[in-house]
Amino acid sequence: MKAILTDVTKCIGCFECVAACKEAHGLANDVPRKWHRNDGLSARNWTAIIQKPGPHYIRKQCRHCLEPACESACPVAALVRTETGAVVYDPAKCIGCRYCMIACPFGIPRYDWEEPVPYIQKCDLCYDRISHGQQPACTEACPNGATIFGERDELLAEAHRRIKAEPGKYINRVFGEHDLGGTAVLYISDIDLDFLAYPARSRTPALPATTAPAMKAVPPAFLGMGAIMGGLYWFCKRREKVRAEDKKDEGVE
Amino acid sequence: MNRVKIFKSILWAITGLAVAFGVTRLFFGLGAVSNLSDTTPWGIWKGFNVLPGIALAAGGFVVTAVIYIMRREEFHRYARVTVLLAFLGYITAATALVAELGLPWMVWHPIIYWQHHSALFEVSWCVILYLTVLFLEFLPVPLEHTGCLAGIRRLLTKYKLVLVFLGVMISTLHQSSLGTMFLITPEKLHGLWYSSLLPILFFVSAVAVGPLMLILAILTISALYHKPLETDKLAKLAGASVIILALFGLIRLVDLAIAGKLGMAFDGSWQAAVFLIEIALSLVIPVVILGVGKFRHAPAGLWVATIAAVTGIGLHRANIAGIMLVRTGPVYFPTFYEITISLGIISAAALAFLFCVERFKMWETPWEDTRQNPEAPAEFDRASEVWLGTPRIAGRTVYSLIFIVALAVGCAGISIDRIESAGVKDVAVVPARGGDTLFVDGNLDGFGVVFAHEEHIAREGDKQSCVRCHHMNLPLDENTGCHTCHRNMYTATDVFRHDWHSSPTGGNLACNQCHDPQRERTDATAKSCAECHDDMIPDGATITVEQYQAPSYADAMHGVCMTCHKQKAAELTDREELARCAACHTPAGPHFLPESVYEKFRDTSFNHIVMPPITAIDRQIEESPE
Repeated sequence: MKAILTDVTKCIGCFECVAACKEAHGLANDVPRKWHRNDGLSARNWTAIIQKPGPHYIRKQCRHCLEPACESACPVAALVRTETGAVVYDPAKCIGCRYCMIACPFGIPRYDWEEPVPYIQKCDLCYDRISHGQQPACTEACPNGATIFGERDELLAEAHRRIKAEPGKYINRVFGEHDLGGTAVLYISDIDLDFLAYPARSRTPALPATTAPAMKAVPPAFLGMGAIMGGLYWFCKRREKVRAEDKKDEGVE
Repeated sequence: MNRVKIFKSILWAITGLAVAFGVTRLFFGLGAVSNLSDTTPWGIWKGFNVLPGIALAAGGFVVTAVIYIMRREEFHRYARVTVLLAFLGYITAATALVAELGLPWMVWHPIIYWQHHSALFEVSWCVILYLTVLFLEFLPVPLEHTGCLAGIRRLLTKYKLVLVFLGVMISTLHQSSLGTMFLITPEKLHGLWYSSLLPILFFVSAVAVGPLMLILAILTISALYHKPLETDKLAKLAGASVIILALFGLIRLVDLAIAGKLGMAFDGSWQAAVFLIEIALSLVIPVVILGVGKFRHAPAGLWVATIAAVTGIGLHRANIAGIMLVRTGPVYFPTFYEITISLGIISAAALAFLFCVERFKMWETPWEDTRQNPEAPAEFDRASEVWLGTPRIAGRTVYSLIFIVALAVGCAGISIDRIESAGVKDVAVVPARGGDTLFVDGNLDGFGVVFAHEEHIAREGDKQSCVRCHHMNLPLDENTGCHTCHRNMYTATDVFRHDWHSSPTGGNLACNQCHDPQRERTDATAKSCAECHDDMIPDGATITVEQYQAPSYADAMHGVCMTCHKQKAAELTDREELARCAACHTPAGPHFLPESVYEKFRDTSFNHIVMPPITAIDRQIEESPE
């Protein structure tokens, strides 16, 4: 399973990854529009650099969750997590309901609001490139090795090794290792990165687990309601009959 | 004008406006008519039409279950109207849903692309199935009127019980799955609304509010068409519903208390205030009024209680669907267009409802008029297929006129700016500041460029090099600053003032001085600036002006700098970094400006998203003569 590890302490904020991403996906020129969320991501920017005081530069992109909320939300399976770990989008299936945007805990999917034929836009971990053995455009472009690509377990080991090697330098946590069930895009950082999750803290369990019990209850609820109604119908009919017979008996007496 | 006519005229006017805006939405995208955004992807159509609409349509399965399954014959009179109300309620919700979909023509996709983990997948299927059930349940009514397809009508009437059963079973799933949809937003939805019991809460509230909505509809019909109310029956129905409504409130409050979140209702936030209003409307007012027999049997009591309950439950769903979802961007407020489309869909459904009430046999047994001299009922002439003569029918001319006028007003009233600018922020450029070294930061976002102006002049060959960048000047000026023409940060500026040029050259007689008389008069076929103002284009300027639109400041700056930088990076093998963003955008940034200007960018994530189209620059390099 592929993954990206971004070392926030190494990022110099040069925007090479952003430029490479735009080139690799043929994303058009972009301008600030009133419907953008103010974090640099947009329908034409699948990755962005967020500047925090320090300065610290944090690259924002789709986290490619191991259990993606968007995938479980999408009613037509347009968003699917592939065997490589990339969560990819199929525009041919999409109906434009935007439930993925509601569900995503990181606020990643963006929309073509200005288009009469709009689609969801988000990072696909360069699925075409990685399935041909290449690495994503962004990690390839990084001049400082701040964001690297590899197998998830290897990158996790590397992340822990770096944290151990320089104890005071990093926060002792690999962001994305366990957050929301784990993500394929990992960070190590000297500042807290919980702001990347939509509500400013990340939960440990994965979100699809919240709806799963209710979805499992669907067939029993359907049949159960039918049975209850059937019982009710039988009871009411029977009561009517008994009453009618009582009336008849009274009449005889 | 009677009250029906006034009421219908208003409905037709709103529908006309909504059609105009709806067509605009279809052709120019959601951004053109709505305030929906990446932070608020669902708006008033979901929060006002879809979720509350489905709840209010719940009478369709609750009341039919009471009549046909629990066999309460006394409510049989309302069977048809409750099915119609549910059918139109679902049509309203489905229409709003389709208007909201980015790709409405793909709405059938859930039928073939299955994803059974998705609550929305379940919702889609339930809507499709239940709409079919409601259609079949209602179909006998219009068929009875037309007199054709009697076989189908008999079949549907015979198996009505099957439809009722299916209706109850599908609705149970559907009402609850709407709640399931918001289980996936545990951290986004405000604590007073989020609960793992949402599916159950949605189902119970729907069961409670469905019959109350039916009572409200009956009250409206009675007021519009002067029909006497059967308050005993309505009171009985309301009395039963309010018990379930109380159950809903009780489950909610107990659930909050167990979760330890009840205190949040009194923390003084606006959310807490909305919560208290919601509780008052959906619990306190209906329970107090309908709990007292005297009020329950009075039309005024029924009016107040049903309106309160319907608003309260509607508010509950609207809160969950959007109002109480945490967002980090600007506050969403629907545009006038969005509100009109939302109301227009409801108006159209209301018109269809009134149409059915007027034309079809909705009551099985006659429901007399309370007036001394009621209007004669409409007559249908089978030979000519026209409706004859009552005053209400004659109103059709008025309605058509109102609809068409509203449509025209709607089309004329759409803001062309909204469509043309496609949501681009209009940011006026701040000129570059400094002396020998300039700080170029047109939008003052702190992410500018330190431009060593003097160094570049010295390196590029003194005064002769000016024209490499300064490609056009104002008349009688030299080396005019970039911001003079490139006035907007992100949008092109029209720098040719037509009115300034036409009157000095002779007004309408002077067209041919610039435009070729043989060709269409456009920007493209007019003379270029330099043909008259030879002083505007300096000798040797490499950047040519092709049109009268000055590109945005961001595009112009990136274009002029990066063209050279990319060339140099290619020529000098050891200076690859010249072509990189960081070659100019030094991340640390200079601070020519007072700290306070940068202060606002300190703590927030800043918004730097402009990148030039790289392929366009490459093309420029290939085409350039050097």
